[in-house]
Amino acid sequence: MFATKRKSITILLGLMLMSLWLAACGNNNNKAEPSTSGSTASQPASASASASAPATERKLTDGLGHEVTIPANPQRIIASYLEDYLVALGVKPVAQWTVANGIQDYLQGTLKGIPTIPYDLPFEAVMSFQPDLLIIGPNSTVEGGKYEQYAKIAPTFVLGDDTVNDWRKALLKIGEVLNKSDEAQKVLDAYEQKAADAKAKIQAALPNQSVAAIWLVQNSFFVVSDKQSSGDVLYNDLGFKVPAVVKEISAKGTGNWNPISLEKLADLDADHLILINSDKGTGSAALNDPIWKTIKAVKNGHVYEYPSSSSWLYYGPVASSQMIDNVLNDIVKK
Amino acid sequence: MTAMTRNPNQASPTESANAESRIYSRPRTAIVTIVLGLIALAFGLALSVTFGAKDIKLFTVWEAILNYQPDLTEHRIIHELRLPRVLGCMLVGSSFAVAGAIMQGMTRNPLADSGLIGLNSGAGFALALCLAFMPGLPYMYLILFSFVGAALSAVFVFALASGVKGGLTPTRLVLAGVTLSALLTALSEGVALYFRIGQDLAFWYAGGVAGTRWMHLQIMTPWVGAALLGALILSRSITLLSLGEDVARGLGLRPGAVKLAGTVIVIVLAGSAVSTVGAVSFVGLLVPHFARKLVGVDYRWIIPTSAVLGALLVVAADLAARTVRPPYETPIGALIAIIGVPFFLYLANKEQREL
Amino acid sequence: MSAYPMSPEALRKRKRTVFVLTALAVAIVLTFIVSMNTGLIRLSPADLLRTLSGGGTERQNLILFDFRLSRIVISVLIGMGLAISGAVLQALSRNALADSGIIGINSGAGLVILLFVAFYPTATAAPAYLLPLLAWIGGGFAALLVFTMSYRRHKGLSPNRLLLNGVAVNAGISAVTIVLSLRINPEQYQFVLTWMAGSIWGSNWSLVAALLPFILVLIPFVFYKARTINVLGLGIELATGLGARVSREQIVLLAAAVGLASSCVAVSGNIGFVGLIAPHLARRLVGQRYQALLPAAALAGALLVLAADTFARWLLQPTEIPTGIVVAVIGAPYFLYLLFRTKK
Repeated sequence: MFATKRKSITILLGLMLMSLWLAACGNNNNKAEPSTSGSTASQPASASASASAPATERKLTDGLGHEVTIPANPQRIIASYLEDYLVALGVKPVAQWTVANGIQDYLQGTLKGIPTIPYDLPFEAVMSFQPDLLIIGPNSTVEGGKYEQYAKIAPTFVLGDDTVNDWRKALLKIGEVLNKSDEAQKVLDAYEQKAADAKAKIQAALPNQSVAAIWLVQNSFFVVSDKQSSGDVLYNDLGFKVPAVVKEISAKGTGNWNPISLEKLADLDADHLILINSDKGTGSAALNDPIWKTIKAVKNGHVYEYPSSSSWLYYGPVASSQMIDNVLNDIVKK
Repeated sequence: MTAMTRNPNQASPTESANAESRIYSRPRTAIVTIVLGLIALAFGLALSVTFGAKDIKLFTVWEAILNYQPDLTEHRIIHELRLPRVLGCMLVGSSFAVAGAIMQGMTRNPLADSGLIGLNSGAGFALALCLAFMPGLPYMYLILFSFVGAALSAVFVFALASGVKGGLTPTRLVLAGVTLSALLTALSEGVALYFRIGQDLAFWYAGGVAGTRWMHLQIMTPWVGAALLGALILSRSITLLSLGEDVARGLGLRPGAVKLAGTVIVIVLAGSAVSTVGAVSFVGLLVPHFARKLVGVDYRWIIPTSAVLGALLVVAADLAARTVRPPYETPIGALIAIIGVPFFLYLANKEQREL
Repeated sequence: MSAYPMSPEALRKRKRTVFVLTALAVAIVLTFIVSMNTGLIRLSPADLLRTLSGGGTERQNLILFDFRLSRIVISVLIGMGLAISGAVLQALSRNALADSGIIGINSGAGLVILLFVAFYPTATAAPAYLLPLLAWIGGGFAALLVFTMSYRRHKGLSPNRLLLNGVAVNAGISAVTIVLSLRINPEQYQFVLTWMAGSIWGSNWSLVAALLPFILVLIPFVFYKARTINVLGLGIELATGLGARVSREQIVLLAAAVGLASSCVAVSGNIGFVGLIAPHLARRLVGQRYQALLPAAALAGALLVLAADTFARWLLQPTEIPTGIVVAVIGAPYFLYLLFRTKK
């Protein structure tokens, strides 16, 4: 019994880690920079001749080395977990990602009404949507011989772990797959411009300030890694300083969001605190804790709370852009 | 509880003196052990409070306790986080250890442990159900459900055991516990999947002692305190029971009443501990054996010694759990199992007779 | 055997065995049919027949042959493998409560898979046939540990000690697994996780191919040894008296049982209790003789896993519950029942 109990704990921990990870690398749609879906034709004839040429089948090599034949004009795409790239590129999938406890709320402005598919992509569920192209993120989704099975349903393009962990790479790659490289580049350029502007504003208004993003769920706190997910936006794109505590935790953590004890939190010397609160429905008891109230940013009233449906738990062009909007509206203006 | 434990010694003084002279015990060693244990516990406490994610000097700790200033973050951390945590560890350790001691004495089963026979997973399952059907239930009620879960498991195992002629052999008891846990775990996973609470359950399991606060201690301490007191009151009867039911009956003891009282105490102890730390096995196995080695077979000494040593073990394990890979914590149950398993193997294999 | 005239008693037994085996086979076929019909996408019985006879659309072929049939075949194979493994372990330990899960073989196999995945990041992309082999090493190590600890010179294997040591080794391995699993990254962890929950993950023909050699070699081998197993079941003194080379036979059979269990769980994840229930059911149906018991156990095991997997696919559609959970919910109560019914 003991053994099984342990097993279940491991499993549950795993489920948790996984959903953290899923949540963390899931949503990257840039609502702020919608590229019009019909824009292919209007692209200025650029180096990418393929964009303007009449669409034909193309062969591409995916992140795992499979040669994938991409249909000329895919209509029924499933890119579970990668929906925000599709939104950014103005493409609608036939099914959208879901886990037991939710969907990507921040994309629902665009994805509303699109049926859901379980995150682990059961074969028959995939098949029931009759997709003509599958785009898959991490390697693990297709491991154990699953790739061959998916490939029989539809051409299956796996981005691979390296690509999927960097939304810029993932965006360009998906653009390439969908024959929308130019749009992808435009989305990216627009984002970089927006980020640079925001960074300049931030440095002018709040020079040398540090920030941390904290996620509260089930009375436990998690902190975003300094290089991944929303951490990438805050520290790399917007130039906020990384608090020492965040650096230390990220160095040893394995996920995008890593657990942080209240004690460590008390030590957090960030000037601003972004709080993603998944406990709102159950009263967020943890926020009444005397220790929470000793945190520097909390004492100074520099806490910015966002619901779990916001884009902060995700990563990608749309999510990142929404995060920048949040920062400009709430932190800089304040 | 006390009503049920009415001291049952109605035998003539000489008769009981005879029986008791057969009980081999070493009160002096016991006292020395308890005193040394308490000293070690004090050290462990100090170390545990000093050591943490944040570096705080021993002097500051001292100051925080004697001259608490809520404005200082360090004092707050010590007061709000580290003290309740380490005190929680002590309570949990004592609870598991004493529960194990009582069960071993009552059932004369060297492998009895609330974890190994499935009580802990019963409590765990009850908590899982609470999360599914009554999210946000206050701890005050959670602990009661934890008792209910432990009690149902206990009733189940003992009912089955009493249905078997001659009672359960140690092996069968352990197997029954293992299987009961496997079943409850599968059901918990099923509930988690069905009600989509996987995440919540995970947090509860992962919580461990780290989340212990004064509020929990306030609710838990009266239960544990009363149960430990009850255990001490009952200890003499348990000693007699451990000589065999016939002997005990011969001495005027009512084995049924003692067992009932003992079981209630075990349920309260195991239920409280599980509601705080999760289903940790092996503490209740390890500690009473060690105590018995040191102080002999008199439960009047085994129980207090177990309480002290159990507290010491869990405090030490908690310290280790935080040291293995800071700033992350290693699950305390896994650490205790890694110590506990070799010991269990030793116990299971040294006995010459078949278990 | 048939060279001798059969006593009426033996004849009756043989008839019963034939009847039981036939009934089990029919039940498997029926479940098989139900299972082929279970899934998110509806295939009418007519479609099913047409597809089976080669006249299905490409889509129907894919659903039936690639998704459902591969999984059904894997379920049947691991059911047989785990059941035979359990039957052998029970004979070797002379304990009706032994099973690869309880003895720690499954978790030993799981730990090695975890280590492999953790320290060899591309492991999950490794060829499918590697996993059963690795699992065999892990399961073998756990079994060796448990069996040597439970072995006493002159007395042989102690059945009860074996179980206790198994439970403990199991707990220890699980604890080590937890501590280690905290150190691997979420992507790798997901793989280990699915494995531990006992879900028949990949379910494709390459996994069938990886598992099949083990089943095809080890099960006939065990069948061939049925007489030896009968003799070993009598206990070491008696067996030695009857001239069996006890320790060598024991080791060979143990290796076969471990190989079966490990290769099965490498493919199916940690599914417990099959090795316990199936042989026991078989024993009740056809008696103690391993010549009859082994095939009956194999069929019962196949039926159990197939039915559990079908149920797991159906219950929460389109989400699939790990098959291991369903098997545990059926298996654990049965085990408890056994525990309190069997005489010491």
